Amino acid sequence: MSRLRSRRLLCDIAFVVFICLGTRCSYADVRLERQIDQPASSVVKLFGAGLGNLDSYGSGTLVSPEGHVVTVWNHLVNSGYLTAVTSDGQRYQLKVVGTSAKHDLAVLQLEHDGNQLFPCIDLGDALRPVAGSEVRAFSNMFHVATGNEPVSVVHGIVAADAKLSAGLGRWEFPLESPVLILDAITNNSGAAGGLLTDFSGRPVGVLGRELRHTASGTWVNYAVPFATLNPVIKAIRNGESVAAVTDQQTVNPVSYRQLTERWGMTLLPDVLKETPAYIDNVTTGSLTGRAGLRRGDLVVMVDDAVIQTGAELRTQLARIRSGLRLTIIVDRDGALVTMELRAP
Amino acid sequence: MNAPHGSRTATQAPGRLASATLYTLLVIVLSASGFSSVSEAEEPDWLRREQNRIAVLDRIAPTVVCVMPPNGQGGGSGVLISGDGFAITNFHVTSGAGNFLKCGLNDGKVYDAVIVGIDPTGDVAMIQLQGRTDFPFADVGDSDEVRVGDEVMALGNPFLLADDFSPTVTYGIVSGVHRYQYPANSFLEYTDCIQIDASINPGNSGGPLFDINGRWIGINGRASFEQRGRVNVGAAYAISVRQVKLFQGHLKSGRIVDHGITEFSVETDANGRVQIADVIESSEAWRRGLRAGDELVSFAQRSLTSANDFKNILGIFPSGTRIPLTVRGPDGQRTTSIRLKPLHEFQQVPPSPEPPQEPIPVQPVDPEDKPQDETPAELASLFESRDGFTNFAFNRRNQQRLLSRLIDKLDKIDGVDATWKMLVMEEGGTDSMTMVVGREGAGLTQNGIPFHQTDDDPDAAAEPPDFPGLLTAALQWHRLFRGKSAGWAEIVYEGTERQFETGTPVDVLITRVGPVECRWLFAEDNPLPSGVDVQASAGQDEARLLFDGWSSDGAIPHPARLGVVIPASGEVRWLKVQSLEIRP
Repeated sequence: MSRLRSRRLLCDIAFVVFICLGTRCSYADVRLERQIDQPASSVVKLFGAGLGNLDSYGSGTLVSPEGHVVTVWNHLVNSGYLTAVTSDGQRYQLKVVGTSAKHDLAVLQLEHDGNQLFPCIDLGDALRPVAGSEVRAFSNMFHVATGNEPVSVVHGIVAADAKLSAGLGRWEFPLESPVLILDAITNNSGAAGGLLTDFSGRPVGVLGRELRHTASGTWVNYAVPFATLNPVIKAIRNGESVAAVTDQQTVNPVSYRQLTERWGMTLLPDVLKETPAYIDNVTTGSLTGRAGLRRGDLVVMVDDAVIQTGAELRTQLARIRSGLRLTIIVDRDGALVTMELRAP
Repeated sequence: MNAPHGSRTATQAPGRLASATLYTLLVIVLSASGFSSVSEAEEPDWLRREQNRIAVLDRIAPTVVCVMPPNGQGGGSGVLISGDGFAITNFHVTSGAGNFLKCGLNDGKVYDAVIVGIDPTGDVAMIQLQGRTDFPFADVGDSDEVRVGDEVMALGNPFLLADDFSPTVTYGIVSGVHRYQYPANSFLEYTDCIQIDASINPGNSGGPLFDINGRWIGINGRASFEQRGRVNVGAAYAISVRQVKLFQGHLKSGRIVDHGITEFSVETDANGRVQIADVIESSEAWRRGLRAGDELVSFAQRSLTSANDFKNILGIFPSGTRIPLTVRGPDGQRTTSIRLKPLHEFQQVPPSPEPPQEPIPVQPVDPEDKPQDETPAELASLFESRDGFTNFAFNRRNQQRLLSRLIDKLDKIDGVDATWKMLVMEEGGTDSMTMVVGREGAGLTQNGIPFHQTDDDPDAAAEPPDFPGLLTAALQWHRLFRGKSAGWAEIVYEGTERQFETGTPVDVLITRVGPVECRWLFAEDNPLPSGVDVQASAGQDEARLLFDGWSSDGAIPHPARLGVVIPASGEVRWLKVQSLEIRP
């Protein structure tokens, strides 16, 4: 009981810290260009053939300057004649580069003379926010935006990172690996294929279709994370077999050895299934030593991610690309201390 | 499916207690040490923001109105805009609810209200709450400054949840700006509106949208619903406060306020230019030289990138507004102005709209809770029915306000109905001209050449070419000054707007006699007009006169300067009035 309570307390602290940090960021008096305008300009309005209740419009996300667009593999892609309107109001025909039924994914490309460069998201910059993180969804839901008008933006949080059991009619959602369940209403007409970003504007995933949960029949709002899709997108663009791509998330935790050699710290060994991320030792003069980390510190957050176990810490550190700045918040004798460092 | 209050409290109490303990602990931990050292600079900031949020809600909640028909069946929302009880809501909330309404405020009280004016095209209605002169009212923000991603709060009465009329608050962000939502049979057209993801549900209609600092930026009116029933799906639309402000002064006139058309159409060409597609030949636009193929560079001082932009801008102005525009044709770029013609020419209040996109007012769960009493007899005089008006009582009251102070000013003066002889001189000129204005005609002698205009058959060709419209307008000025014996066939109070040339807020009074229609402009502090626009006959330019610096130094009041607006250029040519005498 006492362990449970302390875990709960930890979560509450982390939550409050998260809110405080989030508040500072989102209220800062910066105009929302990087967070809103740039992601919005990477989303294209798709037009194809509708049928019955199926819409003749949708959304897609530009993932390469050469005009590669990712979207869900739905009736629009199959309709054969597909056009896209980019954020500057220009209209392009699209060719299908490849699809993966297993990932409900289609990779398309805008047809152009080859000299054009398109605004796009950087798939390498994608991250998978933990449940509770604030996110924004960009799409041309309800076909509200026409021509060069920016697509619609809605806000919400990641409600869960979980396997989805859902479908529509006889069609069943095929993905085996977890997806991000959202509290924002994103399962609107035309929203599928839109872009989910975190609150700083970094890409997160592709907005899903209008589906009902298998058990409850309620409409589900979800996005498939780029963490899952990136290898598939890469394989399709390279003309490789999608079947060879593993469905699992490809992040391997930082090993204990790497942790010592590259980060200069060791953690309390994983004696329990969920051992808290207590620092066991910090090498003087090392990366973490210089940042101010000490033996006995309990890591509670890395950037926006709440850390509950040593394993989570090692996984989270593995997600950070070399050279990027990160913020670590630790609990030191009941007080929260923030430290900044660069990933090795 | 809510459990009764008692049982819910009982079952949740232990959990809540535990949680409260934890949070207390947390607060102690945070305040004791550590946390402040982590973010010493930030803590006051977020604390201040939280306090600000609480203060903002305390300030804005009292301005939100629960609008109900007298029988308490259903209802919507509204927002107070002045201490004397004027409030804005949606047309589709008041439509069908009758002329008297019941309005609940968050003080828990129900106030009587009367319908004032409606704008069926823009889905806006004005009502006036009765019984106080110190109603709390909303701070107006600038909807043109709203950006995608801005935080917003929608206040109102979704599902009529609040028995004590304290409004429900929903939070969201701006999803899009300058959105266009198609009308249903030319009614309820949402132009230049704000798209939000805050929850908007049945009963929210007509309620205010606020920015995060509590400034009023819109009226929540409709949402995208499609096939999932009339509940929020994260795409709702608010009429911009800019549009509401442009209509507000007209709605106070008790009229059915109309939107405008331009008598020319536009299209987006292959290069993304907005160009004139077609111009009606009898129109003012045609006379100003607009032709098919000209590029429309700006309209109402806003640049355009698509024909949609044009619809968006046009939709926020009431009929009768004079709009500046810039076109680029074969002869280069020119700026001019045109007056918007009416879209509908309402004679009757249009029927209740039932488009698919509106969050319809909901039925209260327990009608017994809602006021049932009929409108008190003493309020009956607040409403007067007349064709073409929402509530003629408001029009009559404003006409009387303007006319009675004019007549007060002129009543004691002999000779206002005699013939006037004025000496005028063009500013910068050297020669005085004689101008004579009487009941039957007006004349001007310029450089020895006489010009004469008759009252019963005005002819544009008879006007002095240097001062077109001067004599036609002067004849109407003479008629206005005859006061009670002016003999107008019809008088309508148009409302308040800004004078085109000066930007001064003015009351507009429309008078008609025969085919001649005058728009008299009265500044707030002066019983005498600051301008008049005379439409002598259709298909002809308005005679537009400005009156500047009224002086009582003479037989009758006269302006120190008369400004003649030249239609072709929009330039004002000023004449100094050197003297005014009465000719026996």
